[in-house]
Amino acid sequence: MSKVVACYKWVADEADLRIDADLSVDFSRVKGKISDYDKNAIAEAVNIATAWGEKAVGLTFGTAKAKQSVKDALSRGLEEGYWINADEAADADGAAVAKALAAVIQRIDDVGLVVCAEGASDTFARQVPSRIGAVLDWPVVTSVMKIEIAGNGLMTVRRLDDCMQTVKVQLPAVIAVLPEINTPPIPGLKAVMAAAKKPVHEFKGGDLGINFTPKTKAVEFKGYVMARKNVIFKEGEAADKVRELAAALRKEGVL
Amino acid sequence: MAGIYIYSDNNEIAAEIIGFAKRVGKEAVLLAFDEKTAEVMGNSGADKIYLLNGESELVESYAKAVAELLQKEEAELFAVGSTARGRELAARAAGYLDCALVSDVSALSYADGWFLAERMMYGGLVQQRESLDGLGVVTVPGGKFDPVTGNAEVISMAVQADRRVSLVETAPIVRQGADLSQADKVVCVGMGLDKEEDLETARALAEAIGAEIACTRGIAEERHWLPAELYIGISGAVIKPKLYVSLGVSGQIQHIFGIRDSQLIVGIDTNERAPIFKAADYGIVGDLYEIVPLLTDALKKQTIDRPE
Repeated sequence: MSKVVACYKWVADEADLRIDADLSVDFSRVKGKISDYDKNAIAEAVNIATAWGEKAVGLTFGTAKAKQSVKDALSRGLEEGYWINADEAADADGAAVAKALAAVIQRIDDVGLVVCAEGASDTFARQVPSRIGAVLDWPVVTSVMKIEIAGNGLMTVRRLDDCMQTVKVQLPAVIAVLPEINTPPIPGLKAVMAAAKKPVHEFKGGDLGINFTPKTKAVEFKGYVMARKNVIFKEGEAADKVRELAAALRKEGVL
Repeated sequence: MAGIYIYSDNNEIAAEIIGFAKRVGKEAVLLAFDEKTAEVMGNSGADKIYLLNGESELVESYAKAVAELLQKEEAELFAVGSTARGRELAARAAGYLDCALVSDVSALSYADGWFLAERMMYGGLVQQRESLDGLGVVTVPGGKFDPVTGNAEVISMAVQADRRVSLVETAPIVRQGADLSQADKVVCVGMGLDKEEDLETARALAEAIGAEIACTRGIAEERHWLPAELYIGISGAVIKPKLYVSLGVSGQIQHIFGIRDSQLIVGIDTNERAPIFKAADYGIVGDLYEIVPLLTDALKKQTIDRPE
């Protein structure tokens, strides 16, 4: 069999975002992380590569900040790290991201499978895995909750809105997995130490021959604040707080 | 033919997008992959229905053929219902066309030759508006537009499928819980619950007010106390009940994304600083194990006392 590539994204941790009074978005205190759902994709890539007796490698596209993701990714069982260093990644859209990832996938020897999460925790646009498939003209299976090896291909179970589907796919292919597919293990100290010694390959965005200009024009980017009543009962006896809440719910007519 | 090309495996969403197309004065062309859909949608106001016939049962397998069709017809927009099938077809077509895709739009409008789409990012913390120039793709959730009526001309054509993916079996979704998207009232439990047995306390409250039980992602995927289909959030169920009551839910933004269309949000948690209170209409700061039985009792009485 051949190599498995897990694609992941180094994202701003949304828990650190602040929305200012004028609805501008404050990124100043934001730390990065591997997008939560991508940890499932990495774990699944490792599982399949292990079953095949092959290597799973990681691939990301980001600004210089994404470099710190590689060691984290490698501590999760991947054998080699590939990362594309591009200033343009800050404003890249799904089209550019998919083309950059696909360009490097084509440069890695003998790739049989690309595993992605459905979407990243920052944009959650759920388009990059399908687009990678289109750029490479490979088959794509999304919404996958289970993967089994079936001869030269894979048997996958998809959870759709109205049914479950069992779908067989030929390789090479791109698969997007749902978070329920596995529980990613937390890397142990040994895995973290070993990660530092694994090979890392850096590509420069400018060397890939891609036009990174976004296909849409962003005309507004602002914080969203829900208008809610924020009536919080916090002082006094439990019974009093409950009485006040029950009265409010009755008045609202939602019971 | 120029115009807005439309696809959804959910006929209601397809009809709503046709409504949008007609309201902004565009030709509406619906793509159907089986005769039944073409027939059912015959009076949905589309100008034309292209009935695409091919050898695969998987709509997504026609992505390349659809991309070629859109290009040949000089389509102005490909608007697809935001379901699992629709999202894949839309993104693969956008990939083959190397064009824009704005997914899960919260709003879509057309003015002065531009389509303007709005979407949420960072779990609903940030809203972005984007304008599309030239052929682009959008995916549209249900309930955004009103349908129209009118007869469509059906035109059949043969299309090529990608045969490298094949359907082996289809099975119904065996629901272990309620369909949360349709629920009128929801009681949601979070990681503030100490043990699995405490779900009974939550169930008692749910029963008292006639609510469905739901949970956060942690309860379903880390603790496995409830099935995955009962977790609410950006990657789980998105709900719009009249009343949502959370018990021991801190209110991380991925969760809030799933409840933001609720009419009334109530949070109960011990931590006064939990983000759920910022997203709530009403809240109680206090010990769940003290508050919830009292509340169950109080609301049970109210529900019974309430005249019909």
